Parts: sequence; C-alpha cells; structure tokens
Amino acid sequence: MASKPDFFGRDIVSMRDFDRGQLELIFQQTAALEKTPEGLEGALDGKLAVLLFFEPSTRTYSSFQVAAETLGLRVSGFSNPKGSSVSKGETLHDTIRMFEGYGADCFVIRHGRMGAARFAAEITDVPVINAGDGRREHPTQAMIDLYTIRKAFGKLDGLKVGIMGDLRFGRTPSSLSYGLSNYQAELCFIAPDALQVRPEVESFLNQHGVTSSKETNLKSVAETLDVLYVTRIQKERIPDPTEYERVKKLYEVDLAALKDMKPSLKILHPLPRVGELTTEVDSTIFAQYFAQAASGLPLRMALLNMILGGAG
Amino acid sequence: MNDADSKMLVRKIEEGTVIDHIPDWKADVVSAVLRLANLSRLEADASVAILQNVASKTLGRKDVIKIDRWHVDEREADILCLIFPSITINYINDWKVSKYAPQVPDMIEGRIRCPEVTCISNGEREPVTPKFATLKRDRSLQCHYCDTVIDFEEVPGLVKA
Repeated sequence: MASKPDFFGRDIVSMRDFDRGQLELIFQQTAALEKTPEGLEGALDGKLAVLLFFEPSTRTYSSFQVAAETLGLRVSGFSNPKGSSVSKGETLHDTIRMFEGYGADCFVIRHGRMGAARFAAEITDVPVINAGDGRREHPTQAMIDLYTIRKAFGKLDGLKVGIMGDLRFGRTPSSLSYGLSNYQAELCFIAPDALQVRPEVESFLNQHGVTSSKETNLKSVAETLDVLYVTRIQKERIPDPTEYERVKKLYEVDLAALKDMKPSLKILHPLPRVGELTTEVDSTIFAQYFAQAASGLPLRMALLNMILGGAG
Repeated sequence: MNDADSKMLVRKIEEGTVIDHIPDWKADVVSAVLRLANLSRLEADASVAILQNVASKTLGRKDVIKIDRWHVDEREADILCLIFPSITINYINDWKVSKYAPQVPDMIEGRIRCPEVTCISNGEREPVTPKFATLKRDRSLQCHYCDTVIDFEEVPGLVKA
C-alpha cells in the first residue's frame, strides 16, 4: 500500500486544504486497511506521536492512541490538561517546543481556541493534525463522515445531505460542509435561526458553487434527503429552558421522524449523542453512526501512515 | 471656503506626509489608526495639522492631515486606503510632492486585532501575530487563524494601540 509523496510530512489543519483527489486517496488507503487490518501493524515502529488534548476527549483521543500504537508508534502527551504544566499556564507554543525537544514525529492537537492547530503548524516543522480547534474545524472527523457516506452509497456526488443541529458553534458541520464542497452534493442546513451555518462557511460554499439551502424544520425537507447528519443542540445555546425544550424537539430523530424519510436514507452522528438521536433508531437500516465511529480507527491509521511515510 | 483658501490655512511642508481626501469629520479615525497621539514620543520634531470639513471638488467636503517631518509607513497607508478608498497619500521630500499609489494588501499582519475572543491570536501569552487576508470583493478581512470575517468599516475599532 504505497503512500503518495504528497502526504509525507503534511499538516491536517482544515478540510479546505484538501481536494477531491487527495480525499479519494485517503479513502482508498482506509478501505485497504479495513480489508486487511494487520497490514500496517508496526509500520511506524520507533516514531513518536504526541497527542495534546487541551480539551478532554474520549473518542477522538482513544482512536488516535490506538491507531498510533497499532502502527508501532510510541505515544506521549495528555488527554486532559489537568495535571500537566498546561494547568499551570504553559502556552501551546511552549508545549510544542518541549515535545519537539523530546523528538516528536507528529502532533495531534485538540484545543479550545480557534486557529490553534494552524498556529501550531506554523511554529513547528513536525506535522500537525487538528483534532478540533474550538468551534472552527475537526477535519479528520469530516474525513470519517465522508468516507462513511461514500461507503454506504458508493459515491458522494449527486446526494442531498442534511446537516442538522448546532451549526453555528459546532465544528463538525463546518468541516463536513467544506469536505462536501469537493463533490457535486447539495447541502441543506437544518437549524434554528440563531444556530444556523456560520457566514464564513456559507460564503465559502457560495464561492465554490455549492448548492445549499437553509431550513428551520426537519419535517419540511425530510423526504428529500439522502443523508441526515445529526448534531446536538446544547442547552447553554438556548438559555430559556422552555424555549430549549420546544426547539430541541424540532431537531430530534426518533422512529416517528423516520416515517417521513426515504428508505435509502442514512443517518450519521459524530457522537456522543444526548437525546437528539434516540436509541430506537440504532437497529434500523438508517443508522450509520456506529459504522461511522468504527471507521475512525482505520482512517486515522491511514492518515498517520501517509503523513509519516510508513512502509506499505 | 474653497479648495484654494483651505490650502492657505496650513503652510507647505518641506518634508512629511499629506493625507488628503479623508471623508469629512473622519480625520480622528485616521489619526487613531496612525497612532498620531504617540508621535510626540517618537519624533520630537514632527507636528500635525488637521483640517476638517473643508471644501473639496471631488468629495464636496473633506478632511486633510498634514504631518510635518514624518513619513507614514506604506503598510499603514495601505490600511487607510482600505478603510477610506477616497484617501490620497502624498509624500513630501525636499519640498517635492510624490503621490503614493496604495496597494490593497493580500495580508495584513500585526496592526489589527481579531475581535473573536476565542481566537488563538487572543490567547494569553501565546506569541501569535494576528493576520488577516483581504477579501477585496466583499470589502472585508478574514482572520487567518479563526476565519472570522470583519468589514473594512470595523477596522478602526480593532487597530492595536
């Protein structure tokens, strides 16, 4: 499994940095790994992956950790800033410098500040993977999302993708939107007005000729969608509790909501979910979110291998 | 008062900068962007004359700033012309006037802070220089780090002291 030279040493900061050809290569490598998971075991023996999670995470941290260890990488860093020198006020800049000194071969960074990964990529020659920077982007999650859709339908072109929930403060909707701009997909943003897609995302899509629309109500578009990407609306975004309860009902997916949808529809969710996607949906043919989560491991293995130039 | 009369209000300068065709009553904004209030600490010989709301053939009314013995940095001149496209900048050297042709920069570094509180460029003690890409068609700037978009009109309020 050869990695194209394009990817060696490269940063993964934003989905806007990737074109269709590059994404397809990532998907090919991921699919190959899913077929023969032992194919890359130990491929990166001796190298050091540093995972710096300034915001706590279980899912993303664990999948990068397992991906790295399966490839034979040593893993250092932290999954939670508490107990590290970061809790004493050490800056991102100094943390990067410190681990560079320890011989880091790549950084995986989750940070509460937008642009943190871009800044990190500018101050170090070591490749940086953005595992989420504030509400801005989460590019590897978007790659997983696109891969899942592509696997389910055999394509991404020609699909109508509904992206629902908190689009204003959510990083996964932004990255997914940018990723879909590489394909002939139609986007439908389903959210309360106050939580609709951010202006800069909308502007990017317009500049790239992407067909998109905005809705406040899932019911009104449900039967037209091929994919529904569900994200959580957090309580703190809608301070009035009564209003919150009213609004969140409009963006919940349960068995009743499925009655309006195409039989071929696939439902994705970056997880964790709270109540916006009920467990009764899990056993239906629509549910794709656990397969989506499982794809995280081979995709992240493929990315690490491509970036660090492993044998294959 | 006509244009010729307004020229008589302030004498010609041997060395310095004339910022002309500022929209009327906006000279204070230009002064803030250029940090002219700090000039006395930097250049003891420099002096500033501000004319406001004088007649203009092209604008109807305008402000003018003449700075004696100080040249405005070209990058700052470029920022001024972003905010107020009507502005013209003339550099005076040995009594001779040369008109500066401003360039709309592709990137602006350091002079403007990002209004997004959670941007890494506002991170405490992080050595980040704010950077903005110019979106000329939309008359706006986009933060290189957090993607926040600001209109040119917002720039004066975001200029770093």
